Amino acid sequence: MVKLSDEARKLIEKYQKTEKQKEFQFDFFVDQSKYEKWEDVVIGTEGFGERTFEVKKEDVDAYVNCTMEENPVFKDEEFAKDTPWGGLIAPPMFITPVVFWIAGTGSGSWIRTPGAINPGQKIEFYEPIRVGDVIKIRSEAYDKYLKRGKRYLTYYSEFTNQRGELVAKWWGTLILPFSKGEEEHKIEGGKK
Amino acid sequence: MMTERIKFEDIELDYELPTLTREISQEFISMFGCGSLDFNPIHMDPVWAKDVKLFGFGKTIGHGQLTIALLTQIITNWCYAEGGKLKSLDIKLIWPLFPGDTVVCGGKVVAKHPRKKELSFIDLELYADNQKKKRVAVGKAQVYLP
Repeated sequence: MVKLSDEARKLIEKYQKTEKQKEFQFDFFVDQSKYEKWEDVVIGTEGFGERTFEVKKEDVDAYVNCTMEENPVFKDEEFAKDTPWGGLIAPPMFITPVVFWIAGTGSGSWIRTPGAINPGQKIEFYEPIRVGDVIKIRSEAYDKYLKRGKRYLTYYSEFTNQRGELVAKWWGTLILPFSKGEEEHKIEGGKK
Repeated sequence: MMTERIKFEDIELDYELPTLTREISQEFISMFGCGSLDFNPIHMDPVWAKDVKLFGFGKTIGHGQLTIALLTQIITNWCYAEGGKLKSLDIKLIWPLFPGDTVVCGGKVVAKHPRKKELSFIDLELYADNQKKKRVAVGKAQVYLP
């Protein structure tokens, strides 16, 4: 079985700080055989399950640091108080770790597929995310298509907070590689 | 003391937002992977990336979500402490960022939508280029301004 290299592991361990990061299965090869496959996704079915993301200060800080964010509106409570936000908020794209946390290795796990490529994303933003929020996602398989020999999968996801307020709508698309069985079949086919 | 506001009525068409330049390294990519929980080996594992040669690259690529995060930063740096709020993003990623690349993100105002109080918004056209001036991403954003 393919495993994450020591080189990769070392760099990950260097930046693993938060509780969620430590608990998270960061070797995307481990459960690979269980991930949902492009060919098995049925458009219209719900995904991503019941997991929630409880927003802690360390989660926002980790995202702020990893994006080399310099804006004090996301970092400095005193500064943020004097802005129209009235306090700290998370950067809009903080929804990225929220999705990966909630998808985990279960429903929505296709987003972990090794070698998946990001062709672009469409997002609408509503309420900002703040420390203490509990974010939920309701999502459904929205579209899948073949284009120029590549396989695209789009999920539509609605993010809400603990007050039931809409946080974001995200039409998230990835290009998924052909699965192992299909690759082998293709290679065998090519040999004939 | 309140931060200064950027007023919808003061922003002119073709106004260019301050650009953002960032050097992409494996360290930055791995750091982003940890902070975003996207540990895909195509980003995180130089050894695997060399082996599989996905699309013939043979090296890791930066997260598309990192490019999008940097494009978002030019908006939030410009107006988030000043009363602005992101309404929507629609980004198309054209080419990967590799370790060793330098990315420049920019954008300009292409349309103004006057609405009732607090609901006026502008359209921005966004771009990201690498150090060879190759366009790696384009996109549109809508931003509420007071």
